[in-house]
Amino acid sequence: MDKMNEPILEVKNLRVSFKTYNGKVQAVRGVDFHLNKGETLAIVGESGSGKSVTTKAILGILSKNAIIEEGEILYQGKDLTKFKEKDFYDIRGKEISLIFQDPLSALNPIMKIGKQITEALILKEKMSKQEAKKRALELMKTVGIPQPEVRFNQYPFQFSGGMRQRIVIAIALASNAKIMICDEPTTALDVTIQAKILDEIKEIKEKNDLSVIFITHDLGVVANMADRICVMYAGKIVEVGTSEEIFYSPAHPYTWALLSSMPDLETKDELFSIPGTPPNMIFPPKGDAFAERNQYALEVDFEQEPPFFKLSDTHYAATWLLHPNAPKVEMPDILKNRIARLRREEAESIG
Amino acid sequence: MVRYIINRLIALLITLFIIISIAFCVVRLMPGSVYEMGGDLSQTVIDALNAKYHFNEPIIKQYGYYLENIFFHWDWGNSAKIRPNVPVFEILRDRIPITLEINLISLFGAIPIGMVAGILAAIKKNTIVDHIISFMVVVFISIPSFIFATCLQYFFGFKTGSFPIIYDVSATGTARYASMVLPILALAFDPIARVARYLRAELAETMNSEFMLLAKTKGLTYAQSTVRHGLRNSMVPLANIIIPMFANVLGGSLVVETIFSIPGMGGLMVDSINSSDHMLTVAILVFYSLISLITILIVDLSYGIIDPRVRMGGKK
Repeated sequence: MDKMNEPILEVKNLRVSFKTYNGKVQAVRGVDFHLNKGETLAIVGESGSGKSVTTKAILGILSKNAIIEEGEILYQGKDLTKFKEKDFYDIRGKEISLIFQDPLSALNPIMKIGKQITEALILKEKMSKQEAKKRALELMKTVGIPQPEVRFNQYPFQFSGGMRQRIVIAIALASNAKIMICDEPTTALDVTIQAKILDEIKEIKEKNDLSVIFITHDLGVVANMADRICVMYAGKIVEVGTSEEIFYSPAHPYTWALLSSMPDLETKDELFSIPGTPPNMIFPPKGDAFAERNQYALEVDFEQEPPFFKLSDTHYAATWLLHPNAPKVEMPDILKNRIARLRREEAESIG
Repeated sequence: MVRYIINRLIALLITLFIIISIAFCVVRLMPGSVYEMGGDLSQTVIDALNAKYHFNEPIIKQYGYYLENIFFHWDWGNSAKIRPNVPVFEILRDRIPITLEINLISLFGAIPIGMVAGILAAIKKNTIVDHIISFMVVVFISIPSFIFATCLQYFFGFKTGSFPIIYDVSATGTARYASMVLPILALAFDPIARVARYLRAELAETMNSEFMLLAKTKGLTYAQSTVRHGLRNSMVPLANIIIPMFANVLGGSLVVETIFSIPGMGGLMVDSINSSDHMLTVAILVFYSLISLITILIVDLSYGIIDPRVRMGGKK
């Protein structure tokens, strides 16, 4: 775990907004995080929290009306926010690759699967057709596609959803990227396939020594995947910590709410749901963006944004509740009970 | 695939048969008969002619004779007024080539030009280039081809004299093609605009699709991803509008041929209707229908070439 402290990618105070007819939508409002070499970093948050926008900014594939207001994305000492479209041609695929949310629409419907995997190799790496094909067949085997020789010459409509997602992963792996960004890779798939794809991503990550950014709204998916977790809300990171810290000692009320609204096999009462809706990002609230929906909100939450409070070397949370002068607030019972139960089960399984 | 083509050909023949039947009846039901009093024909001659061509019998019987002649003798009847006693089939054979030549050249010349314009407009969407192209598209679609024909005649034929004002029947070689330039141009504006407008919309939509994003994240350049992924996908629906477009060009050609006095099908159709030359009218209608049917067939078959989902759909 020691070699992990070498950041391969750093995002510093990134702010991205979108120009729309109604005004400027501030999708990402000052995000800081780093990705260590060989680790899996999960970014968790509900729809519209800015997680996808952040990763699109990393690859320079934001839509045309997006503006990077300020901030840096450092990769190999270079600031990707300063990159022109042309400079990204050498980053995308080769250094950083992306797995899409919806495998059903991510593949070109009228191009053979094989060609879609090999085209980047032939066009960019100047491989010969035979070489590229050999590599593609290997990749298809790696991601678990039976009969790759037959499948190579088929079209996407002849593949099931899970198979297509495997192809998308194979494409992402083709050029030996060092960082793989998975943007909700299993959302469009059914649960049994989900588990398989997640296992495969995990396995491939180990084998190819990849660093992975894993974006999801589903904490359950993250639990087995991530080394560290960033929780995002309304364009900001509200809590960051190791997987263990986020699941066993969450500190931000939003993380509490997310965890309490996650069902598990022992859930007997009605499942918790977070009241209200996320704020309008054209006019982001003045204080803590979550204050409106937060049953533990303090008065100061509506006035002033909370800074990050350090809980450990790896664990930070942005909530006034951690201020020394704040009243003592306990996490909700449902969560406390669950954590206690998990701890107990873990102790039993070890013992 | 072969079976599919055979199926389609049979369907085409059935459709054509229905069209012949309807055309025959409708034309025969027009007021006035082929041979009328008042000309230099006496009543006796008219009666004799009517008897010869069975015009004095019930329409259903006439229809029977008509089909019999076509199927067993490949005889589409004789022209009565335009070129008396010349077989209709022969008249068409003289007239069809020039019409097809002009229409096909203008259509197939228009498609690539329209595509280039459409692609430009799509990738430069909402810039000045796009606005200019979109403006031209509106102008070209809304102004009918005969207006362009007269304008072209005036500016390039009369004012500058760069091209002949009317089609030169006797000319051969380059001179013949020079005299075809203006009518071809006049007919091409509309299809150019249609293709451009359609491709702009299709390509702009395809460019926003997920698989274009994937192509981009693979590291393909803008040009590579546009050509390899964007274009071909927007071609699929484009094939669909070729059918109405060809019918449109043929329709415009009816008038444009008259303006440039081209001895093609367009003028012939109007003339034959006006002079109640029924046999000729039916044959021309059948010709136009056959052209449309063949266009539809070609477009449907081309789907299979462009889109694998259609090609592979049949075999499981």
